[in-house]
Amino acid sequence: MWTRSTSAVWPMVALLGLTVAVGPAAAQGKQPIRIGEINSYSGVATVFTFPYKEGLAMATKEINDAGGVLGRPLEFIHRDDKLKPDEAVKAARELVLQEKVDFLAGCITSAVGLAISAYAKDAKVLYFATHCQTSRLTWDEGHRYVAHTTNNVNQYVRVVARKAASFPYKKWAHISPDYEYGQNLWEEFWAFLKHLRPDVQVVQQNWPKLGESDHSSYITALLQSGAEAFFSGLWGAQEIAFVKQARPFGLVEKLHYFTPAIGTPDELDPLGKEAPIGAITTTFPWYDEGVLARHPKLPEWNRKYTEWAKAHGVKDPQPKLGASWGYASAYIMAEAIKRARSTDPDKVIGVLSEGFEMEFPWGRVIMRGCDQQAIPPQWGGVVKMNKEGKPIVADIEEFHGKDIIKSCDEVAQLRAAAAAKKK
Amino acid sequence: MELITSLFPWITNGPLIAVQVMSGLSVGMFLFLISVGMSLIFGVTRIVNLAHGSFYMVSAYFMVTLIEVMPERALSFWIALLLAPVGVAILGGVIEVTLLRRIYRRDPMMQLILTFGLILVIGTLVLLVWGPDNKSVPRPDALAGSVRIFGQPFPSYYLLVLGLSPLVAVGLWLVFYRTRWGMLVRAATVDREMLGALGVNVSRLYTQVFVFGSWLAGLGGALAAPTVAVALGMDADVLINAFVVVVIGGLGSFAGSLISALLVGELQSFGILIFPAVSIVLLFAIMAVVLIVRPWGLLGRPEE
Amino acid sequence: MPRGIALWAIGLAAALVLPLVLSTFFIVLLIEIAVVALFATAFNLLMGFGGMVSFGHAAYFALGAYAAALLAQKAGWPMLAALAAAPFVAALGALVFGFFIVRLTHTYFAMLSLAFGQIVYTVIFKWTGLTGGDNGLLNIWPPALLRSQTAYYYFTLLVIGTSFLGLHAIVTSPFGYALRAIRENPRRARFIGVNVRRHQLYAFVLSGFFSGIAGGVFAFHNGSVFPDFAFFTKSFEPLVVVLLGGVQSFYGPLAGAFGFKMLEWLISKWAPIYWPLFLGAIVIAVIVLLPQGFVGLLGRRAWRPRPSIAK
Repeated sequence: MWTRSTSAVWPMVALLGLTVAVGPAAAQGKQPIRIGEINSYSGVATVFTFPYKEGLAMATKEINDAGGVLGRPLEFIHRDDKLKPDEAVKAARELVLQEKVDFLAGCITSAVGLAISAYAKDAKVLYFATHCQTSRLTWDEGHRYVAHTTNNVNQYVRVVARKAASFPYKKWAHISPDYEYGQNLWEEFWAFLKHLRPDVQVVQQNWPKLGESDHSSYITALLQSGAEAFFSGLWGAQEIAFVKQARPFGLVEKLHYFTPAIGTPDELDPLGKEAPIGAITTTFPWYDEGVLARHPKLPEWNRKYTEWAKAHGVKDPQPKLGASWGYASAYIMAEAIKRARSTDPDKVIGVLSEGFEMEFPWGRVIMRGCDQQAIPPQWGGVVKMNKEGKPIVADIEEFHGKDIIKSCDEVAQLRAAAAAKKK
Repeated sequence: MELITSLFPWITNGPLIAVQVMSGLSVGMFLFLISVGMSLIFGVTRIVNLAHGSFYMVSAYFMVTLIEVMPERALSFWIALLLAPVGVAILGGVIEVTLLRRIYRRDPMMQLILTFGLILVIGTLVLLVWGPDNKSVPRPDALAGSVRIFGQPFPSYYLLVLGLSPLVAVGLWLVFYRTRWGMLVRAATVDREMLGALGVNVSRLYTQVFVFGSWLAGLGGALAAPTVAVALGMDADVLINAFVVVVIGGLGSFAGSLISALLVGELQSFGILIFPAVSIVLLFAIMAVVLIVRPWGLLGRPEE
Repeated sequence: MPRGIALWAIGLAAALVLPLVLSTFFIVLLIEIAVVALFATAFNLLMGFGGMVSFGHAAYFALGAYAAALLAQKAGWPMLAALAAAPFVAALGALVFGFFIVRLTHTYFAMLSLAFGQIVYTVIFKWTGLTGGDNGLLNIWPPALLRSQTAYYYFTLLVIGTSFLGLHAIVTSPFGYALRAIRENPRRARFIGVNVRRHQLYAFVLSGFFSGIAGGVFAFHNGSVFPDFAFFTKSFEPLVVVLLGGVQSFYGPLAGAFGFKMLEWLISKWAPIYWPLFLGAIVIAVIVLLPQGFVGLLGRRAWRPRPSIAK
């Protein structure tokens, strides 16, 4: 038995030799600037990452058509993290060692972002976190090798918390998915609301597991809680399920609903007439007349993106938040490299640590130097039905992140506290 | 008594208890529908069908498309509810005949890994066909609201589930215990070789059982579709739940699945009142306790 | 068996020389293959030799990984000490859970192991203060001496090669043969005086022990540990590897790990978005077309059906 199977060793060695030969032949001539992009491209998160990827691709095409960066084309090499941080680390290592990428980018979950960030710090590769939102990325766990090109949870949740403080509600409950990001969302919301209105109190908490399919028991518990309003850290398919299940109970009519995630068309469109009218949320209001008037370049961008998405077989081509994030991320990376006049990570970090500002069709994005964190505009509003009977976010209020985000001093304190905790 | 009321302040809240019982019941009924097909397939073919959740998901997507293409609103839900599970049953039949049938004589673990491969393939095909966007199936208008039970609102759609699931259970019982086919199926769960030796076409029986089990998965998916988001990833959530319910109930025992589904539903419903963050561990804790106390599940049979 | 020894020697020589000719990435890949191969071989001690299929073996891999990471990071132990403790923590977990699991057979054995595995996963996931929750523990690095991939490769080779020798010694020992006797016919084994349950428990603990080594080695290679290490999908990895490689032989898991990891890398490179379609199709094709796994491709003897290991 053993002798037969040991012969396995031989062909294995041969196979290995073969795969080495398959390894990459470095492209000669005008070598592209290669960015390894790790995101979740299978399963539940594709609803966010597919539009994001199209936004990224459209910006890349624009940048390359205009002569590229430093005369070199920009190229993204994608990998699927399967929503798992260890897969992300594996992919990062492969991209750096085998694909010889100049930079790393990507992430949709905070765990993935933090894991790539730790790897990047150790490997001394600059990492642009794009789609995940945890504030720990550039704050508590921040370091020079990570920059964040989109919103973080702090700005996002504070929009909702500010709105919440303008209502007279004292008794609050919440329902948030039971994992680090869900806990982070709730804590950020509650800390800021408590800061704005010290008289609020939590009367009941719900922690369904991430991806829970039936929320009936939580809904009845919320109804019995005696709260006047509740916050939800749910998002995506799980929040749709929650809202649909809550509707017959009349939950959102009885308790005012505050939820940062529901304003996306990814949730409102499928909900249709079952959408929670009156909920306070955040959104990317590409369709809002006031916003379009304030940002005259936005209609043109909307048109261009929609055409691009249709041409690339995207089933829902409307300009979603993810698309704007992908678009902005590519430009921010290109800008940082351009300003550094080099792909040398230290030079690019030099540019990032000084900070810069960029104009996008939806407003100004500040790349803040002290934490290498993007500070974009923010929009809050109320879920309403439009004339066609389609749910949208209306009564849009535009904030700029710079007016609500934690200051550089606060960030320094967070970093010092995190460092002290590790000691 | 004071200790109890201080620990469980809801214990004197009659309406709350009633509503939690009802919602636990509907959770349980859903669990029963999705797990009974898995249990049936395992009982007869000894395949742990990991693609069961994928069938459930495909059925929900069928519902989305069927309702979209049908012009007439009032009836379209009910027609889709009939057709979607049939589509999934056909899919199951094709998979059984083309793939699984080839490897019945091999190690059961091979079949398990094959169905694991199916999860990957079906998941990607769904992404390619329907795209990444969340979908939703609206409840039929007649069942969109709620009824009052002990003065508390209760979704009328769940009444459909609460009504239909026992019908399915009774139907299954009649099929298994009152028809010749059901007798053969039960015989196959006990001794397949003997059944084959007695001249029964076991291979055809396997196909029929697999198709029937897939239909049940499809029925679960079609019925659940209006209460959830139809989205990628719904396969995995359901698979775990179905798996655990089947094991607690006893593999291959359909009465066991029913009891275990209701038990899990109720424990979940009341568990969260005591420990709000219990949901993540509850299923597997129940499973471990049951298997330690009753190694073959509640109503399962010891193997050999 | 001289031929066996010769092959060991050639394999060892190749393993020693390879890093000199390979790029860093392939050295990394070899480390990962070695880890998976050890994990799968430890798993196969149960499945292939003991006829026990565990669906929760990721738990012991994770216990090893987390023990190593926590001892190094939170208790400040040196890497070698933390790594040495890892398999004992995993074995302890295997002893506690195995005590209950080995009382069951076949499918129920698999299910109870799954339940315990998921409980381990949940504890890791929920105990954020200790384990970092879903964000895991980051920056678990070996000391400077072993910091380069080449150095860590040789270290891995030493640890995992020794583990392979240990496992080989186990399966060729009287204990290993008793295990096979139990697999083939537990009742007959009992009649000839083998304490079935105790042997199974020993095998379970040993398997957990070696899985823990794999976990510990991987923790310091990866630089981080995550709850996913314990999730039930991770438990399917050794199962897939063993079945693809060939369950009947001691080296099947090694061939399977090699084939599977290569396949995974190449598919993710060529189809970064729709990879599951291809991976799934290939897994299905291998199972339907290659009854004996990758090893079957290489073996010269015709395949003989064997009694099922998990009826």
